[in-house]
Amino acid sequence: MVSQHGILYAVHLITNQFGNLVAKVCECLLRNGALTLQAIVRRTELSPAKVRNCLLVLIQHNCAQAFILEESVSGEDAGEPGKALTQYIALFVNILHRVRFSKFMDVVSKELGGSCGELFRGLLEHGRLTVKQIVDRAGANAKESTNTVQEDLGKLVMAHYVECCPAPEPLVPPPDADTKKRAKSSKVMVEPLTLEQRVMAVAMPSAMRRFSFVPNADQVADDQQNVNQPPSKDVGEKRKLHDLESDTALEEEVECNWRANFEELLRRLRHKTCVDTIKVRFDDAAATVLSAMLEASRAEEDKVKTANSVPLSLNTIYEEVVKNEKNHSMTFDHVRTCLEELSCPPTFVKTDDESYSIDFTKITEAAQSEEIESIVLKRFGETAYKIFRLLFRAGCLMETDKIADRIFAEKKETSKTLFKMWQDGYLLMEKLVVGGTTTGPSYGGSSYLLWKVNKRLLRETILDEMFHAALNLNLRLAHEIDQNKEVLNLPPDKREGPDKQKFDRLRNVRLLIHSSLMKLDDAIMLFHDF
Amino acid sequence: MIKEVVNVKNKGKKHYMAVEFEPSTELTGGAWYDDDGNLHVEFINIVKKCCLQKIKQLKVATLETVLQLFKTSGVFKADLKEHHFEEILGALVLDNEVMEVKSNGMGEFGAIPEGKVCYKAFDKQRVGAAAEPRIGAMASMPCGVCPRIRSCTPDGVVSPSTCVYFQKWLEF
Repeated sequence: MVSQHGILYAVHLITNQFGNLVAKVCECLLRNGALTLQAIVRRTELSPAKVRNCLLVLIQHNCAQAFILEESVSGEDAGEPGKALTQYIALFVNILHRVRFSKFMDVVSKELGGSCGELFRGLLEHGRLTVKQIVDRAGANAKESTNTVQEDLGKLVMAHYVECCPAPEPLVPPPDADTKKRAKSSKVMVEPLTLEQRVMAVAMPSAMRRFSFVPNADQVADDQQNVNQPPSKDVGEKRKLHDLESDTALEEEVECNWRANFEELLRRLRHKTCVDTIKVRFDDAAATVLSAMLEASRAEEDKVKTANSVPLSLNTIYEEVVKNEKNHSMTFDHVRTCLEELSCPPTFVKTDDESYSIDFTKITEAAQSEEIESIVLKRFGETAYKIFRLLFRAGCLMETDKIADRIFAEKKETSKTLFKMWQDGYLLMEKLVVGGTTTGPSYGGSSYLLWKVNKRLLRETILDEMFHAALNLNLRLAHEIDQNKEVLNLPPDKREGPDKQKFDRLRNVRLLIHSSLMKLDDAIMLFHDF
Repeated sequence: MIKEVVNVKNKGKKHYMAVEFEPSTELTGGAWYDDDGNLHVEFINIVKKCCLQKIKQLKVATLETVLQLFKTSGVFKADLKEHHFEEILGALVLDNEVMEVKSNGMGEFGAIPEGKVCYKAFDKQRVGAAAEPRIGAMASMPCGVCPRIRSCTPDGVVSPSTCVYFQKWLEF
């Protein structure tokens, strides 16, 4: 379930990029879950044509997905009994990705170079494109040849940065009965998939199809079409059917839309965050070793939120480290020492029988804790910081006096700070009444206040505040630009004196807000996506 | 005949005791409280600083090691027991000056039995290490630390357009 400010932030992003109408439809989907076209029309009070166009825009840019539920439809939208209706669902995660395009571009350009980066930019700008559209765009912009463009696209697909688009209207079965059985018998709690996850799991083509790009497929299709045409009239029905099937298959091949694979890009950004976290806590050498481990185990990772990397031997890790020219001076012993440091508690790298694997969960949790503690320290002060660290580590209810004793603070101050943190949703509070009669503690009993950090709830609170902060940054920037639009409209040579000062201030404001937004988005990814 | 004693748990009420008796630590608060029943902050900070110095010298230390060091040095006149040092080390962990970890018997933990709780100082002398805890993304902008964020709405009395904290933050 998306939080209130998450929805507001997502709607703001869509408004900025696609306008109010599209944002209205998007908001309707975000607030109400999956809806049919008729339901959206009813709720938004827009015409069906406008809603359809808005949905097309959202789908084109991967912010929404259509699907059909296999279960029989009933209720207000049922036309004929049992008739399956197309529903639409907003893809909140993909909407958030729209502010990360520059980060994605950075990842792709650094690894595959400028021309691949440029091609990738087109896919980000347009949402999804066919090969022909990609080639035409590259030809118009940079006068690239078809072969070069197809080669670049091939590289992007091979690296899994680009994928074949999902099916337009997949048939989604009911929640898997096997999954339910497994969940019952398993000792580990299995979180059920959300509707969005179920839809995307079905819509996604198979791994082979998803990352299978055949260069010059359109040329092959043209040749095939030329071969098939006149003779099929003379041979008869059988040939016609064969032609039809092969034409259809080629149509699918030729008309496959390609789009950015956000999953792979998110995985890379997660790796980057892990390396940065290790660099801060240890040093550059440890970060280099971790980076090499990530590179060596990347191919085996099958999802973004993998808990551990695959185990690697010391030799494999060392070979990966020295592959990079900059690390040629690193010795085998140095790599081993770094691994031993990383394996020391808190264990960011697990060792098992001479092999090493990265504990992503530990690194992510360490980074999250650092972020939360930073907020607590700045917002509530040093006493609150110590209280928070105590309760977070304890993971259980603790009484006020005990907390005061452990942090060496006066009880009054401790109590005041606890209440402030509780009011802002950072702590849970429970009242315990001991002794007394049924008529109340005043008849000889005592009441105690117990405090606790609920980690899951806290992360949700922090994430919602982050969305709120991101929205505020955007709104403030819009306000600043609006206040100074006269200065912005002045030609550069006419900006003098106070106008020039205003212009310079606005430039600095933009830089500060943009860099804060990027940094905040890193934190949002840490809590929402990693 | 009688004397007034402070009860740290109930400072509002006066408590009296015969002069020949000594009040228990439950009343006085123990080593960390002064004669007036107030927390002896200066003394606590001195003990914390000394413990931290010892841990930095040793790189990794157990509670017993720290206790032994102070017993032999006789630095403190006050009779500090093992649980006092445990409280101090706990406070250093909460201050983020040291880490509480379990030894894995390898590397710098080689001299400590596996599974034993020990304390390791953060290496703030390391090149690139920050002297203060790193400021996170949220904490480095006004909304992240705003006491009014729950009342803030786009068009409300408290809003990003009218916010005084934003105004100050954007003063160049």
